[in-house]
Amino acid sequence: MTRPDLRGLNDRAEAVARGVGGRFRSGLHSERVAARLGLWLGGMFTVAFVTGLVSHFMQHPPSWLLWPSRPVNLYRVTQGLHVIGGLATIPLLLAKLWTVYPRLFQWPPFRSASHAVERALVLVLVGGALFQLFTGLLNISYAYLWPFSFTVAHYWTAYLVYGALLIHVVNEWAKVRAALRTRDEVDPEAPARRRFLGTVAAASGLTVLFTVGETYAPLARLALLAPRDPRIGPQGLPVNTTAAAAGVAALIGDPGYRLTVTGAVRAELSLTYADLVRLPQHTVRLPISCVEGWSAEAEWTGVRLSALLARAGAAADAVVTVESLQRGGAYRSSEVRPPHWHDPLTLLALRVNGSPLAADHGFPVRLIAPDRPGVLQTKWVTRVVVS
Amino acid sequence: MAAPFQERAAPSRAWRLAGYGAGAALVVTGLAGLAADARHTHPFGWALWFGGLIAAHDGIVAPLVVTAGVLAGRVREPYRFWLRAALAVGGVLALVALPMVLGIGRRPDNPSLLPLDYGRDLLVVLGAVASAAAVAALRDGRRGHRGRRLPRQGAGRGGGRSPTGR
Repeated sequence: MTRPDLRGLNDRAEAVARGVGGRFRSGLHSERVAARLGLWLGGMFTVAFVTGLVSHFMQHPPSWLLWPSRPVNLYRVTQGLHVIGGLATIPLLLAKLWTVYPRLFQWPPFRSASHAVERALVLVLVGGALFQLFTGLLNISYAYLWPFSFTVAHYWTAYLVYGALLIHVVNEWAKVRAALRTRDEVDPEAPARRRFLGTVAAASGLTVLFTVGETYAPLARLALLAPRDPRIGPQGLPVNTTAAAAGVAALIGDPGYRLTVTGAVRAELSLTYADLVRLPQHTVRLPISCVEGWSAEAEWTGVRLSALLARAGAAADAVVTVESLQRGGAYRSSEVRPPHWHDPLTLLALRVNGSPLAADHGFPVRLIAPDRPGVLQTKWVTRVVVS
Repeated sequence: MAAPFQERAAPSRAWRLAGYGAGAALVVTGLAGLAADARHTHPFGWALWFGGLIAAHDGIVAPLVVTAGVLAGRVREPYRFWLRAALAVGGVLALVALPMVLGIGRRPDNPSLLPLDYGRDLLVVLGAVASAAAVAALRDGRRGHRGRRLPRQGAGRGGGRSPTGR
């Protein structure tokens, strides 16, 4: 056997790379286009990273962190920005990758060790950005085509992407500044560049226009490509987990149903559905704000959680756990900390939009509170544990 | 022109080091989290998606887009720009809608998930994009006949620079 002809292979690879790379003639594969798109992408990924952290730490707050219960729509807005902003970023990322695509064929592929590290980090950035945006798109479409837990993978990959992005920004900063400072008047490519960037912005804007109605009700009729319509579902309200999926369909009709308030209280409470109906009822207008980006507002009627806890004699700084009839599942219970349970808008609701809760909305009783992710608005509530 | 300008605009050494430090810390945090939470992150499946998406983009999507751009380049201006714009915008909207059109996530117990006829909706949207581009192209075409200068297109054959290599 002869030794493989490494020099020959290298020459052939170089010829292919230079051949392909030299064929990209469009003036739009330029630093100035890449700089402008990079700036937009940096902004979008920063918004996504910050709003993503907000969502993560609202769902998993460390013990010292007390989220406020107002403004009512805070989580609705941050998560809407996260998801709809993420969709709007898809065209920006694809345009950026198209613009710099010729550089994939640069020769030699690595000029030095530091150049190799730089390119490896760009690979991490590209792969991570594609991963976040496309598994995110599939996730809000309920297409779970992977073995990992989406939320956990999405969370850790966010650190990876944002770290690689920071390093990329440091490396490219001088070029971006130079590219953006050059005056358009002296550049014959400027009109073509403006039209190209305008097209990218249009793709981004139309993506928003056809999806944002899933959380911004005035545009609901335009939400032609959104996975949810905030007006569609039992009682005119979308559902995430149905009673059948939660395995509670047979339990919620039980005439022996009781809502108990227990734990660190002066007097335990055990209330039937009829007892709850006889308690003072309050009506509030609050949204369900889903972590998947959609939200829908409704009129909820029920008992104030603060009133129940006062009756039971809970301490003012108590942390409360609301538990569902569900036997398992990550969201069978949720914690309610003082800012939320003291809020008069926080109810154990019995009715929505004027009629008793449908089975899929949590009959007989569900939690509804302001500024709170939908997965924490526990349904089919049977126990309130004070600690 | 660029070199002295770039040097002056470069971030100071301290900023660079701070940026590299913060970036590296985040990268290490992410990798450590992915590894430590392996029961949930399923590193092999994660790597398959991570690498698979890069391969799908660089090996399939980008070449298809480049080919479509070259084919559209045979059309003369101003129609060429509007054809490329309509293909790009329509392609992105179709890509975003694809998981919904395929209806992979539909569940029989929950009709409020993916409640719309997304195939029909996508056709409506693509029709609107195509119509808007056609109207704009015809408008520009008529202006061109009347002798008004059109903005020069950088995407034309031989009109552009070669990409800046690094």
